[in-house]
Amino acid sequence: MSDPYLQVAGISKAFGGVQALVDVSLDVRAGEVHALCGENGAGKSTLIKILGGSCLPDHGHVRVGGQALPPGSVLASEAAGIAVIHQEAVAFPDLNAVDNIFVGRELRRAGGLWLDRRRMRLEAAALLARLGEEFDLRTPAGDLPLARRQMVAIARALLQDCRLLILDEPTSSLSSRETQALFRIIRQLKDKGVSTIYVSHRLEEVFELADRVTVLRDGRKVATRSVGEISRAELIRLMVGRDVGGIAARPKSPPEGRPIMLEIQGLTRAGVFEKVSFSVHAGEVVGMAGLVGAGRSDVAQAIFGVDRWDEGRVLVAGKALSPGDIRAALRAGVALVPEDRQQLGLVLPMSVSVNLTLAILQSLCRLGFPSARREQTLASRLVAELGVRTASLRAPAWALSGGNQQKLLLGKWLALSPKVLLLDEPTRGVDVRAKEEVHQLIRQLADQGMATLLISSDLPELLALSDRIIVMRAGRIVGELAGSEATQEKVMSLAIPAEDDPATGARVGGSAT
Amino acid sequence: MISQEAARTGGTDRPFKAALTRLAQRREYGVGFLLAATLIAVSWKNPAFASAANLSDLLVQCAPAVIVGCGLTFVIVTGEIDISVGSLLGLLAAVMGLACSPQRANWPVVPTVLATLLAGTASGFLTGALVTFGRAPSIIITLGMLTALRGLTELLMGGEWITDLPAGLRTLGTGSLLGIPISVLVAAVVVVGSALLAGRTALGLQIYAVGSNPEAARLAGLSIRRLRLFAFTLTGLLTAVAALVSVPQLSVIESGVGKGFELLVVTCVVVGGTSIRGGSGGILGTVLAVLLLGIVRTVLVFLKLGEMATYWERAIQGGFVLAAVLADHLARRSSAARAAGGQT
Repeated sequence: MSDPYLQVAGISKAFGGVQALVDVSLDVRAGEVHALCGENGAGKSTLIKILGGSCLPDHGHVRVGGQALPPGSVLASEAAGIAVIHQEAVAFPDLNAVDNIFVGRELRRAGGLWLDRRRMRLEAAALLARLGEEFDLRTPAGDLPLARRQMVAIARALLQDCRLLILDEPTSSLSSRETQALFRIIRQLKDKGVSTIYVSHRLEEVFELADRVTVLRDGRKVATRSVGEISRAELIRLMVGRDVGGIAARPKSPPEGRPIMLEIQGLTRAGVFEKVSFSVHAGEVVGMAGLVGAGRSDVAQAIFGVDRWDEGRVLVAGKALSPGDIRAALRAGVALVPEDRQQLGLVLPMSVSVNLTLAILQSLCRLGFPSARREQTLASRLVAELGVRTASLRAPAWALSGGNQQKLLLGKWLALSPKVLLLDEPTRGVDVRAKEEVHQLIRQLADQGMATLLISSDLPELLALSDRIIVMRAGRIVGELAGSEATQEKVMSLAIPAEDDPATGARVGGSAT
Repeated sequence: MISQEAARTGGTDRPFKAALTRLAQRREYGVGFLLAATLIAVSWKNPAFASAANLSDLLVQCAPAVIVGCGLTFVIVTGEIDISVGSLLGLLAAVMGLACSPQRANWPVVPTVLATLLAGTASGFLTGALVTFGRAPSIIITLGMLTALRGLTELLMGGEWITDLPAGLRTLGTGSLLGIPISVLVAAVVVVGSALLAGRTALGLQIYAVGSNPEAARLAGLSIRRLRLFAFTLTGLLTAVAALVSVPQLSVIESGVGKGFELLVVTCVVVGGTSIRGGSGGILGTVLAVLLLGIVRTVLVFLKLGEMATYWERAIQGGFVLAAVLADHLARRSSAARAAGGQT
């Protein structure tokens, strides 16, 4: 193979204070299938967005076929022959498959005014047939199952006559038959000299399909290897060798003798998670590891009553909760700090003190009106305890940095003095100092007897803070490791789907339809 | 386990709900059925209702809402809204009157028509520009326009009335061609043109795409701003067209022309099945809904309720809107459930 078709040189990108990519360079040859691997948050998605033109890099440049690619332009990337198929390939839910494929590149009849609907329909049908798909093309895409929507997105890319196809976890919603059809297409394209960047957590797919693999970790490129020269174990090691960064480990203590505060028995939500059972003792931090989409957040949200569950039981301090009842969960002493703190946690335009006391407004009331004095007293105490850096208690929440917003959110729930704390990615996107402070807080709370469920994709953090680690994959618990024996490699080996994977198979075949 | 068929129709265990859902998804059918049923029932009770003269009157009455409704359908499909069309109609009535009245500017018919069209288009463009570049919700921006345009109209009219429109201009409102009123012909042309734009052109397809998923539209290289700007500008132009064929029917032009018209048009578009969230709906539904609400109004007159007719009209209109929103909600929910249920 000749000169590299795609050259990425020295790309860096920061979001706020967090470096998503640091000086990443890689090249993809014409006709090569190049796999991109890395843990959650390693920077794969950011790199893809930069290539697709929907995100502007801070430094570095991209060359396609020898030409410099103008950064930050979807149209320029498209014109250069780059087609990106995003993970949630929803596209236009109200439009049918034909229109979804052709929007922006419509076929017109002679004269250029009218759409050539007939030709569009025929070409769409032909493209989808190449992908092994046949269905009613008039159905709105929003009514199609996810796998079909994905196929529609791929058909759109094929139409574009792309030279570089970028697939972001394309098979996470596909059955094995559909996956094989997709692989066939990728190989056909390869024979025609089309390159593919393939992002996947399924390592067996990487080994089956890819020529070379590049591993990203913490926004940096770790290595590019030929697939023939690397083993699965080595690949996992490259992915997880994440900088531990001096997170002080909690002394792990056996939970014996302390009461069970949270007990989950066979919790099932059809198509999302299945037969999840575990328990958390008072003063214990149970870590929950898994890839994005493994169902960790869904379990936490079900416990808190955001979503209902279909089967199983949730016991808080021995008392059963009813499904889908947030108020009951709150009364029982459960608090959830959600992953998406801006959307789900904070009222951004309102002040720091209001945000801190919102959850316990009732208890601050006198004669039905909130007492401003009590609010201020409590808020200033929490701000001091948590070390929230804010200009004043009256400052709006949006004026705070990500790390301080996170502390605010923690404070909001701590004001309730909960018994069980569910933390969903509490340090995602916060700077190093705030991260350390959040860790400190988790330690303190555990020492005070809080039962904590910690969901995190940051493995060093999880290993340092947890007494035990449970690993989820495809909606199921696939393993439990004592904090003292857990390593990044062990956790990742469990979290990444294996070749003969019972969990994945069960989910794809049995649950939803 | 749900069978394929059940998954497609939304569950066999609740046939009534499934039927409702199907109806909700193709609102044209539901509205068309209601329209036909009302028409037949009333004509059977009172044959005078179905007379050619009465039906022609009905169509003439409906023409302005049909014309503006076509433009507003595009605006709502893009995910925006324009509640300033009533005030714009008032302003354009004033512009027409001031331009062609012998006691004012005394312009000939053609320059008057051109000035009206230009003013309407310019106003629509301005509204669109404010919405797309102002980064504020269109309901707020156009609420501002609603007040501002009415104020401008009052300023222009200075509290006076215009009664002496020249005969040439009157023809636009009251004349007919081959026995069909000009306003109805114009409305028919607008409807056909809009339907072709929506269904047969790339521009139309892109307008639906923007409303369905703005982010995906951006990733597909569409210019969201330009498409929304187009929809608002078109609505301004069509409001001018509606003014040209309806205002000359009035014996008096005063500063209150078109008050409440915006609510009627928004009601018709929503009842006609265009989702207020954008991305779906169509011209046919809007036209049928205008006719349905028009018939309801006429029927109420035929019932000789007197003063009460107006009150009933409002109540019935409101009921239709609530029913439409509910149907929209049902359709969305079952659609989401189906997509999730089919997910493997």
